[in-house]
This record gives sequence, structure tokens and C-alpha cells, in this order.
Amino acid sequence: MPENYKISFVITDGDHPGAILNTDHRPEIGDRITLGKGEFTVLEVIDLIPARGDFNYLHVSLKMAEI
Amino acid sequence: MDLLTILGNVELLDGVSPYELESIASMCQERTYQSGDVITTQGDPGDELFVICTGFVEVLRSGTSPESSPKTVVNLGQGQIFGEMALVDHGLRSATVRAISEKTVVQVIHRDDFERLCDKNHHLGYIVMRNIAADLSFKLRHQLLVGQ
Repeated sequence: MPENYKISFVITDGDHPGAILNTDHRPEIGDRITLGKGEFTVLEVIDLIPARGDFNYLHVSLKMAEI
Repeated sequence: MDLLTILGNVELLDGVSPYELESIASMCQERTYQSGDVITTQGDPGDELFVICTGFVEVLRSGTSPESSPKTVVNLGQGQIFGEMALVDHGLRSATVRAISEKTVVQVIHRDDFERLCDKNHHLGYIVMRNIAADLSFKLRHQLLVGQ
């Protein structure tokens, strides 16, 4: 099973442009994610395209975390 | 973490052999940027590909009118590449890229070195060009999702 996750993070509120980065674990709904200086909560995790080689490709929707 | 381990976890090099990975590693040059440092500038010529080892960068695009202010179109983190468009099509930089984390470390690959290696080793050239195409496709999918 591939252990690299290339993730397209899309923020559903605010005007953040989102981010693309690699992680070594699959995010779960409710997880808290830090992108730069912002903190976000995971709303949705979807396999964006089929895994290839050592990589999984995910789309993750986020909302700004409540402080 | 050593360079081979870092490069081994980069999608650009997924599928290359350990020997080929060493060839790529030998042509890499490490650079470190502080938050706010500009790495590439939209409209400038460019002949380098960048692999982000640690940190974050923001990709900024200005419109065609001189008065338009740059807008961040995406942030890129660990394992991502940028500068690949100018590497492939020899055009001017399509965006400005700026470091936004306190310490951003990148590996830089020069186009001449890269093309020489691909000419010498067609298998490696095929793998890396396929991965660059897949990366461009992923970035396009990201933009489509952001625009929904």
C-alpha cells in the first residue's frame, strides 16, 4: 500500500487559495491541519484519482478551525 | 533526512531506480529561503526546477494589466515542484513564487543538466516527463476544485 499522500487542500470558507503538499498519512474527517499560519478542520476526504506507484492522490476540503 | 530519502518521496522521481535517483541527486543544489524571499519572478526567464524539501511557498499571478496586483493562486508544501513549466517549454516564468515559512529548503535542478541526463537515459527521461505531466494535471485539478 502506498504511503505517500499528495493532497489538494481546498478551503471552503474565506479567500485562502488552498494548498498542495505531500504527507505520510491519510487525513480523517475532524482532523486539525495547519497550513502556513492558518489552522483548519477537515470536512471531507476523497480519492481524487487512482493511486499510482507509491502515491495516493486526495482531495481534502477544509474549514477554518474554531479557536 | 538525507537527500536520497527526500528525493525518493518526491512524486517527480517516483518510479526511477536507486541508481537513477543518485544521478538526479548529484545534480541538485540546495538553497534555503526565509519568509518573504522571492524565488522566481513572473515574466523573468527561468532555467531551474525547484523541489520543496521543507517549508511552504505561495504562487502569485499578476493579470495582464500593469495596474493589477498579484493574487495568490496556490500554496505549495513539502514534496511539491515548481518552475517545471519554464523547464519544459523554455518560456518565461508564469508566476512569482515566494517563501512564506520561516525556513524553506529547496533542491534546484538546472535545465541543461536535466536535459543532458534525459538525453543520456531515455527511461529516466520518460519517467520524469510523465511525472511532470501528472503534476501539472494535479495542479489543474486543484484549480478546478478551488474554482467550484
